[in-house]
Amino acid sequence: MPALSGLLWLISYWLIGEVVIYFTGLPVSSGVIGMLLLCVTLALYGRVPTSIAAAAQPLIALLAMLIMPGVVGVFFIIGELAGQWSAILIALVLGTLLSVITTLWLLKRLIGQQHVH
Amino acid sequence: MSTKASLLDLLTTTPLFAVGLTLAAYLLGSGLFKRLKRPSWLPAILIAALLLAGALALIGLPYATYQQGATWLTILLGPATVALGMPLYQQLPRIVELWRPLAICLPIAATLAAFYALAIAWLLGSSDTILASIAAKSVTAPIAIGITEQLGGTVALLMGALLVTGVITIPCVSIAARLLRIDDERLIGFTLGLNGHAIGTVRAFEISPAAGAFASLGMSLTGIFTALLLPLAWRLIGFSS
Repeated sequence: MPALSGLLWLISYWLIGEVVIYFTGLPVSSGVIGMLLLCVTLALYGRVPTSIAAAAQPLIALLAMLIMPGVVGVFFIIGELAGQWSAILIALVLGTLLSVITTLWLLKRLIGQQHVH
Repeated sequence: MSTKASLLDLLTTTPLFAVGLTLAAYLLGSGLFKRLKRPSWLPAILIAALLLAGALALIGLPYATYQQGATWLTILLGPATVALGMPLYQQLPRIVELWRPLAICLPIAATLAAFYALAIAWLLGSSDTILASIAAKSVTAPIAIGITEQLGGTVALLMGALLVTGVITIPCVSIAARLLRIDDERLIGFTLGLNGHAIGTVRAFEISPAAGAFASLGMSLTGIFTALLLPLAWRLIGFSS
C-alpha cells in the first residue's frame, strides 16, 4: 500500500507543523509549514518516493473539492450583509484586478531585467 | 412533511450524507464545467458550490449540520496542503532560476493585494469590521482565518471575500496577461497563487504542473508574508483591534 504510507508521511508533516507552531508561536498554518518542510526533505533526499507521489497526486487533484464545503458557507451569510454588499464586491473585484495587473507587470519588468544581465 | 423531516434527520445522523452530497455536487459541477468548454469566468468550483448551496436550500438542511458532516472531507485539507510540497520540489530548479524577481515582487505584490481592496472599501465608507474581514482576501483559508480573528473581523465574511477574490482572480489574470502580452506559465501561475490563493492554485494546475508549482509557491509565500506583517501594519495604522 504505497499510497497509505505516503498519506502517513503527509499527515506526519502536518503534525510536525503543529508542533513547530506550538513552540514558535508563528501565525502560519501547519499545512504551509508542512509543505515547506516536505519540499526541503525531498530536496535533501533527491527524488520523490513512490509512496509520497501516490498519496500527493490524488490529494492535489481533489483540492478544489476539499475547499468546497467552506466556500458554500458564503451563500448562507448573504442576508446578514444587506446594503454593504455592493461596496465589498466593488472593493474585491476592482482591488483584485489592480493587484493582478501590478503583480504581472512587476514580474515582467523584473524578469526582463534579469535576462539583460 | 414530518416523515420528510425525520427521514432527513435519519440520513444526517452519519457524515456520509454530507460527504455524498459534496462528491455529487463536485462531480456534477466538473461535468458541467467540461460541457460548457471550461469558461474562465465560471470556474468548476463555483458551479459546484452553487449546486451544493441549492441542494442544501432545497432539502432544508442547515449549513451548520452539513458543515459538521463535511468535516470528514475538509480534514484532508491539511495533508493536501502538505502534498503541495511535492510539485514545489519538482519545480525547484525553475523556481531557483527566478528567485530574485520573485523575492522582490512578493512583498510588494502581497502588500498591494490587501491595500487596493482596503483602500477602495474605505473610500466607499465600509466599517472597520468589514475592512478587518476582507484584509486577508488573497491569503489561503487556514492562514486567513487566523489573521482575521487577530484583526477583529468576521470569519464568515472572510470566506465570502476569499471566494469572490479567488474566482475573480482567474479572469483577471487572463485579461491582464493578454494586455501585458505575457504567456510565461510560471509568471501566470505565480500571479494566480499570490492573488487567488487555493482557488487560483487549482486553476494553475489545470494550466500545467509548472504553473501549479509556481502558484503553490505564490500562495504559501503570500500567506506567510501577510500573516507576519498585516497584524503589525494594522496596529501601526491605528485601526481598533
